[in-house]
Amino acid sequence: MPPRASKRKSAPPNSSSVTSSDGRSEGIEALCSDLGVDYTDVRILMLAWKLKAEKQGYFTQDEWQTGLKALGVDSLSKLKKALSDLEKEVEKPSNYEDFYTYAFRYCLTEEKQKSVDIESICELLNLVLGVQFRPQIDSLIEYLKVQNDYKVINSDQWINFLRFCKEISFPDLENYDATQAWPLILDNYVEWMREKHS
Amino acid sequence: MVLHKFGEKLYSGLVTTMTSHLKEISNSIEAAQGGLFLDELNRKWAEHNKALQMIRDILMYMDRTFIPNTHKTPVHELGLNLWRDVIIHSHAIQSRLQAILLENVRRERSGEVIDRGLMRSITKMLMDLGPSVYQDDFEKHFLEVSADFYRLESQEFIESCDCGEYLKKAERRLNEEIERVSHYLDTRSEVKITNVVETEMIESHMHRLVQMENSGLINMIVDEKYEDLGRMYCLFRRVSNGLVLIRDVMTSYIRDTGKQLLTDPERLKDPVDFVQHLLDLKDKYDKIITSAFRNDKTFQNALNSSFEYFINLNSRSPEFISLFVDDKLRKGLRGVTEEDVELLLDKVMMLFRYLQEKDVFEKYYKQHLAKRLLSGKSVSDDAERSLIVKLKTECGYQFTSKLEGMFTDMKTSQDTMQGFHASHGSDIGDGPMLSVQVLTTGSWPTQPITTCNLPAEILGICEKFRNYYLGTHTGRRLSWQTNMGTADLKATFGKGQKHELNVSTYQMCVLMLFNDADRLSYKEIEQVTEIPTFDLKRCLQSLACVKGKNVLWKEPMSKDIVDTDTFLFNDKYTSKFFKVKIGTVAAQRESEPENQETRQRVEEDRKPQIEAAIVRIMKARRVLDHNNIVAEVTKQLQSRFLPNPVVIKKRIESLIEREFLERDKGDRKLYRYLA
Repeated sequence: MPPRASKRKSAPPNSSSVTSSDGRSEGIEALCSDLGVDYTDVRILMLAWKLKAEKQGYFTQDEWQTGLKALGVDSLSKLKKALSDLEKEVEKPSNYEDFYTYAFRYCLTEEKQKSVDIESICELLNLVLGVQFRPQIDSLIEYLKVQNDYKVINSDQWINFLRFCKEISFPDLENYDATQAWPLILDNYVEWMREKHS
Repeated sequence: MVLHKFGEKLYSGLVTTMTSHLKEISNSIEAAQGGLFLDELNRKWAEHNKALQMIRDILMYMDRTFIPNTHKTPVHELGLNLWRDVIIHSHAIQSRLQAILLENVRRERSGEVIDRGLMRSITKMLMDLGPSVYQDDFEKHFLEVSADFYRLESQEFIESCDCGEYLKKAERRLNEEIERVSHYLDTRSEVKITNVVETEMIESHMHRLVQMENSGLINMIVDEKYEDLGRMYCLFRRVSNGLVLIRDVMTSYIRDTGKQLLTDPERLKDPVDFVQHLLDLKDKYDKIITSAFRNDKTFQNALNSSFEYFINLNSRSPEFISLFVDDKLRKGLRGVTEEDVELLLDKVMMLFRYLQEKDVFEKYYKQHLAKRLLSGKSVSDDAERSLIVKLKTECGYQFTSKLEGMFTDMKTSQDTMQGFHASHGSDIGDGPMLSVQVLTTGSWPTQPITTCNLPAEILGICEKFRNYYLGTHTGRRLSWQTNMGTADLKATFGKGQKHELNVSTYQMCVLMLFNDADRLSYKEIEQVTEIPTFDLKRCLQSLACVKGKNVLWKEPMSKDIVDTDTFLFNDKYTSKFFKVKIGTVAAQRESEPENQETRQRVEEDRKPQIEAAIVRIMKARRVLDHNNIVAEVTKQLQSRFLPNPVVIKKRIESLIEREFLERDKGDRKLYRYLA
């Protein structure tokens, strides 16, 4: 194993550095800085997905070890490389929806929580879909911030955001049919868009 | 001759002889002048027929043997054909005959008298010669000429007559033609000539007639010209789309006037008057349809759909109809016969059927009924019950079960009171008389429980009742509805004049305080009674600021009640009546904010109903697409209200969140029931 200068490092990357009970997020942050990746980078989210992390902000011992094994990683440099491969893996259509759904669940921090506040949703949308669907996401985020009907978003609405981006032509929204089973929030969004452009 | 095989010779001889003979006749007919032409023709024809008969008899043997064998035309027929060819179709005669026949018809149409018998014979002759002869030589031209005639005449009439007059003329002409046919034309011509008249006189001018200013359809309706309307109906019925036109114009008129009525703020000020107006309108149109339009079902349907359309334009219609009923059941039906009561209630039911938001009506009806029952203000118990039965028949028992519960409570309370008085009669003695109605929560409109301290004088008996009741009904809770009661107070004023005051419970609480003090400030009253501010102010206003009912005197004399007011017992109060009613008034149309509140409550009540419908449907169908859910839900709820598709969608999403339903993973248009 290539030796590491940082005091926290040992090879293989030790789970304890990221699971200390009083410094959970610090652990992740430290990991991030080692990986040279921003804490808010989507790749960390992808890692969480791959590791099937239950709770936001930290990995349990089990998750860490099982996950790394699955990645075939036993050193930081390998982890770094694995991250970029991970991006490709996530983008595979068969995985993408799973990852997308996971991203929402990851934000449910409280027990029995079913919805996520608008502010966080906007950030999450930007993070997860921003690159692939920039114009739609920018417009949708703008709407979410100005509308008053909903203060939180539930998983049903979340999953339909992805559907919307994938299926509906933008920005004309020609093929959107409000009589279909789209959630009401999207009906309202489309109406808002149409009014804006008329 | 036939027997001797000279049939051919005989036959051809016959032909030749007859032909030349006929040619002579033809000449003589042609020679006839003017009016005698037809006469001559007719006479010669009669002669010919007689001759033919004789010839046929003579040549009967040939007719039966030679002719069939050789496929020649039989004698009689031959005779007719020759007549036709030589005479009728002779150059000179053919056109002259046609012209004279048509001229006769024209003359008769202008009012002249003609020889109908002669005409009859001639047309009969043409028919005998063969239907195609009648048609080609006469009928065809007759129809053409008639068409021209009526085209011109109708144009003339339409310029000079109003609608009613025109229709009379058209009817007259039509009848004339029918009569003409029966007298001297072939019966099969009737439908053809009537068609001509219908087309030229009615169909061509249909629209102009209906829309005619000052005399068209709308004017007839407004002025109730039943005869003219009936005539129009009968005539227009004969042409395609005639009735459709009448119906459409009438329908859009009804819709427009209805819409105006429903959106006119002046009209809407008095709900009772407004509803009466609606009923009158319906009566008027019903009468038109029965007396002039032969009770035509399609017109009935058009009327119903028009009413349904505009009644629902105003969201307050349900409330107003309930107020109308309230007014009638309170006083309007006093002295009315049972039959007439039923008639009126049936008419009200008819308006009720038009309502889309029947659940809103139910809410108001319940409120108004509660007030009526509790204040004992109903004119006729039978009438009340009769209406409930009608509502039940229309909407099912669920609609009326609570209403019936209210009646039951009233009856039960009577029994309870009897029992109470029986057991406590002796205790009461000189004390205040108590009458209690025990209401089952849930059957009656929900009321907020308000604070109110009852006067000491009646606390005793109230407690006695409470104990009595709870003694016989364990496990129940009673709370005094101080905002709904009434009291009769015996009051003695300055000069000893006594009056009996009928007041609300709140008013009683306030007035009783003046037994111990002649003047009290607002604050003091508020403190002792603990009646909520809004109600207290309204109560004091009714006791101090209403002319003829001011048993209290207010300082200062302003109209509104403020915290700093002082109240005095008005010992100078006078009234010419012994009994004075100061209590709360009858049901009134809600103020705007009250209306908003009721509407909100209605919307809240609808949500669970919609959800229940969705769950019922999905449980049965398991998987269903969005549009179908909306359609089914609407169908299920339409007897109560028309659900908003957006609200339905919201309910579906709520059910998804609560995991009753899910979106199908394969086909995103579908929803799936989760067991």
